Amino acid sequence: METINKIESQLRFRLKELKQAKEKGKKIIGYVPGGYFPEELVIAAGAIPVCMIRGGDKAAIDASLAYIDRWLDTFYRAQIGSCLSGEDPYYNIIDILFDPLTDNSNRALSDTLAYHTDIEIFPFGVPHTKDESAHEYYLHGINRVKKRLEELTGVEITSDRLEEAILLCNKERELLRKISLLRQSDPSPLDSNHFVMMNHASMIIDKKTQIETLQAIVEELGEAAPNVKEGPRILLTGSTLAWGDNKILNMIEDAGGNVVIESFAEGITPYWYDVKTTGDPMKALAEKYFMDRAVPAWFRPCNEMHKNLVRLAQDFSVNGVIWYQLMIRDSYKIESYYFPEILKKETGLSMLTLESDYDPYETGQMRTRIETYIESIVR
Amino acid sequence: MALKSKIVAGIDIGAATAKAVILNESKIIASHVIPTGESVKKAAESVMKQTLDKEGLSMNDISYKIATGYGRRAVSFADEVITEISCHAKGVNMLMPDAQTVIDIGGQDSKVIEISKDGNIGNFVMNDKCAAGTGRFLEVMARVLDSNINEIGSISLNGNEPCQISNTCTVFAESEMVTLRAEGETRENIFAGIHSAMAHRVVIMGNTVGFKKSVVFTGGVARNIGMKKFLQERVGMEIFVPEKPQIIGALGAAIVARNKI
Repeated sequence: METINKIESQLRFRLKELKQAKEKGKKIIGYVPGGYFPEELVIAAGAIPVCMIRGGDKAAIDASLAYIDRWLDTFYRAQIGSCLSGEDPYYNIIDILFDPLTDNSNRALSDTLAYHTDIEIFPFGVPHTKDESAHEYYLHGINRVKKRLEELTGVEITSDRLEEAILLCNKERELLRKISLLRQSDPSPLDSNHFVMMNHASMIIDKKTQIETLQAIVEELGEAAPNVKEGPRILLTGSTLAWGDNKILNMIEDAGGNVVIESFAEGITPYWYDVKTTGDPMKALAEKYFMDRAVPAWFRPCNEMHKNLVRLAQDFSVNGVIWYQLMIRDSYKIESYYFPEILKKETGLSMLTLESDYDPYETGQMRTRIETYIESIVR
Repeated sequence: MALKSKIVAGIDIGAATAKAVILNESKIIASHVIPTGESVKKAAESVMKQTLDKEGLSMNDISYKIATGYGRRAVSFADEVITEISCHAKGVNMLMPDAQTVIDIGGQDSKVIEISKDGNIGNFVMNDKCAAGTGRFLEVMARVLDSNINEIGSISLNGNEPCQISNTCTVFAESEMVTLRAEGETRENIFAGIHSAMAHRVVIMGNTVGFKKSVVFTGGVARNIGMKKFLQERVGMEIFVPEKPQIIGALGAAIVARNKI
């Protein structure tokens, strides 16, 4: 698909575009991934949102050891390493970093960058349960984000501006949802590497450009014959699927597996729900980004995540589940012990658990595990 | 031509040894084991040639060849590759159809495999990326006490008070052994402690899969009689070791190859 290549190119040139925009006075707003930061607020303030979702690099892990203990989630160590070593140019152009605090891992990122850099860090809390007071607390947090963005940009985020941004982001979510749902057909018309790239692009490149590209992809997929090889259908889930961490998808594909649906705390845009376009837009944002968001493993209780994964496995008719977690992400590690039994009971499917520290020497054993798993579930 | 169509081969290129099995229908007609050495490609060619030579066969006589083991992708003459975990399950299932669990300990890794009723993998678990719980661990420990790797299992059986070895990290365990030796502990008790600690680690790992009768022990380390004894104590049931435990992976590969023709 030609349009897919276009996304690669857009991602490649994004940094240059951002630098040019910054030179013209635009504010570049960084945010920590996880699906709890409403990009709509940034767009409504006339600024540019950029998600700090790059990962997969062992050198960044090594670099982090000078600043933080190794017993911290791999992805967040990689962020610390790539930022403080000066190797990630995105950290050099952001005007502020918003961090929705979800667990100790990203709190450590906020605190470490606040101590060692002059980047303005703006953490705000994300509750771990879903009830009325938690909803209000989250709404309070994003109201603080709104106020800070207004101060930073000098632009008032009016209801009209916000509603316009919501419509834009809803359109992007609708297109991602449409493309993802096409994969319920067997064989799937799209491989996971491409869909994941679209997700990463939606956190990086210009929203209007991304919508045009996704629209073109929907049209191309409607016309093209399915182009994906046969093979066991896989649900890939876990803590973080970073931009640049392609190892797991490539190894599953090489082993003959076919990832047809993904669910991650970080790395996959929460595209299942739109923001309501009626009523108070700030409340609507809180409703979508906190109450509707499929919960990650650190949520209490975690039943909603289990149910969501079982539903995805059933809706996408998968033959197996691969759980890909990064090291020292306790919440995912703990759930990886419980969830296989729940999955087996509800669907009869088995699960393979893999753990990575972005280290190339993991590859051999990880490949053997994946190949064995695919051999064991092959149709 | 009739004979040719029924002869298949399995080649298992492990971290320490390369193995080949030639199967004629369900009968093993030749097998061979050599050290892997510096080149997995050369080891594959060499072990295949030596196995063929035993029966006066040539490569043209083999109708299908499947490679397995960590070096499986380097076997250029293979028609297909399959993981060693699947192959150990297949090999054990052929030798002992009622077996439900395989403990495979090789030079580089250890695995516990659940065999389903149809002879395929039900579930499996594999050690992390370090030498703890592998043949390599035992090799290092044998060297510390200047002992032969092939003898440390029998030596461990004579340890009447196995030492407490708290670490199965190869580097830390080596330090513990040096300390115990300095304190005058007998090598019988030290090796008993080493085998016991390694068996403990493998069984803890395997508990996520579970141990169901019958349990079969394969891989190069299964030749170690001490490891069998300490695994039996930890698992709490009899463990069976095939006559040639090292070739089970290659045998499994040959069985899959047989089903392809």
